[in-house]
Amino acid sequence: MRIYNKYIISLALSTCLINILLALLGQDDLAIYFVINIIAYLVITLLYAYLNPGARRALSTISAVSFAGFIVIVVFKVLEIWPGR
Amino acid sequence: MTTNPYRVLGLGLCLAGTIFAPLSYFIIGSVALAAIGVSAILIGFTCIALANTRPYISPEACEIMLKTGMENTAALLEELGLRNKAVYLPSTMRNGHPRALIPLVDGRNIQRIKKNIPGRLIVRYGTNPDDMAIAVTTPGSINIDMLDTKPGPTAGEIEATVTYILTGLLDLANSVTVTLSDSQVKVDISGARLHYEDIWYYRCLGSPIASIAAAVSSEALGKPIRIKEENYSQGKSRIMLEVLS
Repeated sequence: MRIYNKYIISLALSTCLINILLALLGQDDLAIYFVINIIAYLVITLLYAYLNPGARRALSTISAVSFAGFIVIVVFKVLEIWPGR
Repeated sequence: MTTNPYRVLGLGLCLAGTIFAPLSYFIIGSVALAAIGVSAILIGFTCIALANTRPYISPEACEIMLKTGMENTAALLEELGLRNKAVYLPSTMRNGHPRALIPLVDGRNIQRIKKNIPGRLIVRYGTNPDDMAIAVTTPGSINIDMLDTKPGPTAGEIEATVTYILTGLLDLANSVTVTLSDSQVKVDISGARLHYEDIWYYRCLGSPIASIAAAVSSEALGKPIRIKEENYSQGKSRIMLEVLS
């Protein structure tokens, strides 16, 4: 299943690049790493439009869970900077 | 139980990430290393999800079934002495099931085909008494049934559908390009894993990849299609399809 291999390699390379880049920039907030990795994951998953229906369904579930995590982090960050708190 | 490499990789990544992330964050004190651990868990879950979508039948078993079907059809063609190129019909012309017609009489110029072909093995396709053909199911016909929606009649839509089947569903090619002209469809396939062979079955019905391209094009255009020629050079297959009226 070469398309699966390409997809997994794309994910691994993108996460490695993002983590190295953020580390070089001196980022020390784990939430930022997580959010950017989730965005990359969602973009790459969307780009692989030709995966079979079973794989798409399975990946949609993981994407939904990841997106929920992303939203939770964004909400916490917004609450942190919300005026009056 | 066969070992699925994606499941092994996924479990390995999940386990490594689960140990590595808290170790890096709380003991080593490195956020970047902890992020790598979290990424490993994410990719690990993805691998496990993909592992569950792989077919339970091994590629070897699939090959045996493909060869069995091909050899049975080839035996029928050889017994009847048929050398004519098959005509791929859209599902609308054959009770909702796309099939290929192989004319029984040599050298007949098939340009006009009846709108409704009966769902039998030996069928009459024209108005003349000897306009007879055998109607067979091809790999392309089966794949059309697997599509959720009928492809549209543009080159882009045909290309997207053939790419979806050959790359996403069957993993038989790397990429597909379709060019559409008046009465011809040119399909360029790179990284094709099933090539044309000079055998009876392929001479009549085309290779499985050409059969899929022809069936999709026929379904998209709503017209009968014949595989005109198939070439393979420098890792690329070129399939020329002729659109009949």
